[in-house]
Amino acid sequence: MQAPRELHVIKWDFPPKFGNVTVNVVGDAGHNLAPYEFWKDHFPKAGITIKIIEVPFEGVYEKEKTEFVAGSGAFDVVTFYPAYVGDFASNGYLEPLDEYMKKQPDSVWNPHQEDVLPPFRELYNKWAGKTYALTIDGDAHLLIYRKDLFTNAAEKAAFKAKYGKELMPPETWEDWLQIGAFFTRKKGEKLAGQTLERDFYGSAEFAKRGFSFAWFVDRWAASGDLYFDENMKPQINSPAAVKALQNFVDSLKNAPPDVRGYGYDELRDALLKGSVAMVVQWTDVPKKGANPAESQVVGKLDYGRVPGWRIGGKVVHRAMMPVGRVVAVASSSKNKLAAYWVAKHIAYDMSLEDVSTAFTGLDVNRGVHFSHPEAYVDFKSKAEAAAYLDRVKEALGDGYPEIFIPGAAQYEDALDLHVNKALAGQETPKQALDAVAQEWNAITDRLGRQKQIDLWHQALMSYKVAGLIK
Amino acid sequence: METKVGRDVLAPQPARLVARGFRLTPVLMVLPAVVVLLAITVFPLVFTLRLTVMSWELTTGFPPQFVRLQNFARAFFQDPRFWNAMMNTGILAVVGVGLQTLIGMGLALELHQLGRLRTFVLSLLLIPVMIAPVIAGFQFRMIYNDQFGPLNYLLDRFTGGRFHGYAWLADPRVALGAVMFTDVWQWTPFMTLVVLAGLQAIPAELLEAAEVDGATGPQTLRRVMLPLLLPVIVIGVLVRFMDTFKLFDIVYQLTAGGPGNVTETIAYYTYLEGFKFFSLGYTSALAFIQLVVITVVAQVFLRYQKRVRAGMAT
Repeated sequence: MQAPRELHVIKWDFPPKFGNVTVNVVGDAGHNLAPYEFWKDHFPKAGITIKIIEVPFEGVYEKEKTEFVAGSGAFDVVTFYPAYVGDFASNGYLEPLDEYMKKQPDSVWNPHQEDVLPPFRELYNKWAGKTYALTIDGDAHLLIYRKDLFTNAAEKAAFKAKYGKELMPPETWEDWLQIGAFFTRKKGEKLAGQTLERDFYGSAEFAKRGFSFAWFVDRWAASGDLYFDENMKPQINSPAAVKALQNFVDSLKNAPPDVRGYGYDELRDALLKGSVAMVVQWTDVPKKGANPAESQVVGKLDYGRVPGWRIGGKVVHRAMMPVGRVVAVASSSKNKLAAYWVAKHIAYDMSLEDVSTAFTGLDVNRGVHFSHPEAYVDFKSKAEAAAYLDRVKEALGDGYPEIFIPGAAQYEDALDLHVNKALAGQETPKQALDAVAQEWNAITDRLGRQKQIDLWHQALMSYKVAGLIK
Repeated sequence: METKVGRDVLAPQPARLVARGFRLTPVLMVLPAVVVLLAITVFPLVFTLRLTVMSWELTTGFPPQFVRLQNFARAFFQDPRFWNAMMNTGILAVVGVGLQTLIGMGLALELHQLGRLRTFVLSLLLIPVMIAPVIAGFQFRMIYNDQFGPLNYLLDRFTGGRFHGYAWLADPRVALGAVMFTDVWQWTPFMTLVVLAGLQAIPAELLEAAEVDGATGPQTLRRVMLPLLLPVIVIGVLVRFMDTFKLFDIVYQLTAGGPGNVTETIAYYTYLEGFKFFSLGYTSALAFIQLVVITVVAQVFLRYQKRVRAGMAT
C-alpha cells in the first residue's frame, strides 16, 4: 500500500532506542491498521518490532476482553471503540497514560492532548479523570449529498412545482423524507436530464443489525433527551423518540430494497456508485468519494449537517458519534513504554498524514487536522478540502455520544435489536422503544443498579466537560 | 543393593507383586486417556453446570454470585429472545434437515445408478461440505446481493426484468429461508453420502429377489430399500440435527441475526450473551438447556433406530 507523503507539520523525535522489543498491536482488520504499514520504517529506528494482530470489525471487543480477562498479556497496544473505555479502564485492563505523557523531552513523549477536540479528549480518552487512551479516529456522522442533483435546474423546477419550495439539502428529518421521495425514480425515468438505466433512490440508511441504532439516535438526540435520567430510568421511549423511529421507518420507502442489509460498506457504495441522492455517513466517506479509484461521483458530492428537528422555532441538529477508535496500552504489557510510544506515534506524530488520506478510514480529531487542508490531497483543490473540514467541524459541534459506561454492548444491542425490529415491521416504533426501556432496566438490575447509577453520573460529568450537555 | 541382569530380570516374581502389577498396568495404560477426558470433557461440563446457577457479569468486575435457578427462570419466563432463537433453530432443524434428507436421498439414488462416473460426481458434490461454513456464508452473501449478486442477475434475465433486485437477506419474510437454503446447499451432500453408503450396503440378493417377485421400482424403494436405509438415515438426521444447534457461522456472515431477530439462532444468541455481553452464568444456562434438548432428542432417535433394527432382525 502506498504510504502518504510525510508532511512534517507535526514535529516529533525518536525516543532513545529500545532494545529491539516486540510490540503487539491489535485492532480491527483493514484500512485502519494501514498506518502501521505506512510508517513501518519508523519503528525499527526506535528499536521496536511491530507485530499486528488483526481481528474482524465486529470481533474487537470480544477478542480484547477475552484476552484481558484471561490475563494472557497477548497485546501491548490495543485499538478499540471508545464505547468500551469505561469497561476496560474500570476493570483495570488499561495502563493510565498521564505519567507517560509528562515524560521529557516533550518532542518524544507528549501527545499534545490539549489539541484533541474536547468530545474526543473527554469521552474517548478519559475515565474517572485519568487518561487511558489516545484518539486515532474521531468518528461522527455527516450529511453527504449529490450536489449535481440539488443544483440541477430541471430538478429544482420540478421540486418547486411539486412542493412549492426550493430544492435544498434537507434541514429537518421531515425534509429528508420529502426530498428522498422526490428523488426516488424507476429505471427508464429521467434524473437530471439523463434516462436512468437502473432504479435510483432518494436516500439510504445503515439498517443492518449492528449499528442501525446510531441512525435512530441521529433522529432522536435533537429532542434533548439523554439515554437515562439521573436514576438510570430509560428516556428512550419518549414521544420524541417514537416520532424519530417512525421517521427512520418511513425513510426506508425511499431507499434501495435491500437497505435492511446495508452496513457501512453497502451504504458507502450506494452513494459512491451513484445509486442514491443522499446519505448520513461517517466523515471519512467524502475522502473516498473524492478518490476516482473508489468513486463514480467524484466532484459531485457536498456535505452538510445531519438533519434535525424544528424545536421552538429553530432547527436543532444532532450527529451521532458512533464507533471511533482509540489506542491504549494494556496494563498486562511487558513493554509499556515502547507500547506507549507506538500508540503516541500513531495518535499524534503521524496523525495528520493518517487522517488526510483516503487509504484509511480514520477521521479528523484534533486542531492540527483542521488547520492544514492542503494535506487532503484527494480533494480536487485546497478550497474543496477546506469546505469538507468546515462541514466536519460543524458535525462535531452537533456530536452526540454513545453510551460509554460498562454494559454499553448490552444496552446498545438491545436498542439496535428493537430499532431493527421496527425497521423490519416486526414491532411498531412504540412497541420497539417500550421493549428497549424494559430491557435496559433489566440490564441495569443485572449489572447492579447502584453501580450503574454511579457510572452514569461519571459519564454525565464527562458529557458536561466535553460541552455536550449543560 | 542387588542388581539383576540378563535372565535374572525375567525370573518369576513373587505372586503378590505379579497380582499388583496385573492390576496396575491397565490402570496406567488407561490413565492418560482418563486424564485427557477429565480435562477436556468432564471438567468443562461440571464447570459449566456450576456456572448455570451463578450470576457472573464480566463487564462489571463483580465476583460470581450464587443465584439458584434464576438463569433458567430468565430463559424460560422472561426472555422472548431465547424462545425466538429456539423457534428459528427448530424451523431450521425440522424443515432444513428435512430438505437435506429428501434431496440427499434423491441424489444418492441417482448416484447409486451411476457407473464409473459415481466417484467423480460424488467428489464434486462433496465440495460444499469441505468448505468452511464461514466461507460458505460469505459466498452466499455475495450471491444474494441485490445489486451485483448473480442470483438476482439470473432471475432478472430469465424473467425479462420482472424479477429485479430482490432483497433476500433484508426481507424478514424470506431471510430465514435464505439462511436455510445456504445450509441446505452446504450439507445436503453429507446426507447424500450417508444414504449412498447405506444403499451400497444393501445386499444385492434382496434387490434381485424383489425383482424376481415382480416388484416395481417404487415398490422396491418403499418396501425393501427404505426400511433397510432407515437406520443410517436416522443417524444422518441426528448428526445434522445436532449440527443445526451449532449453526453460527452462516448466520454471522449472512445476517448477524437480522433483520430484527428473524434469523437469530440459539447458537448465535448464546454467542452474543457469552462473547458480546460476557454474561457467563446466563450463557452457561443457555448452553446447558441446549445440551439437554439435544440429549433428549438424540435418545429418541437412537431408541427409534434400535426399534427399527430390532424389527429388521425379526
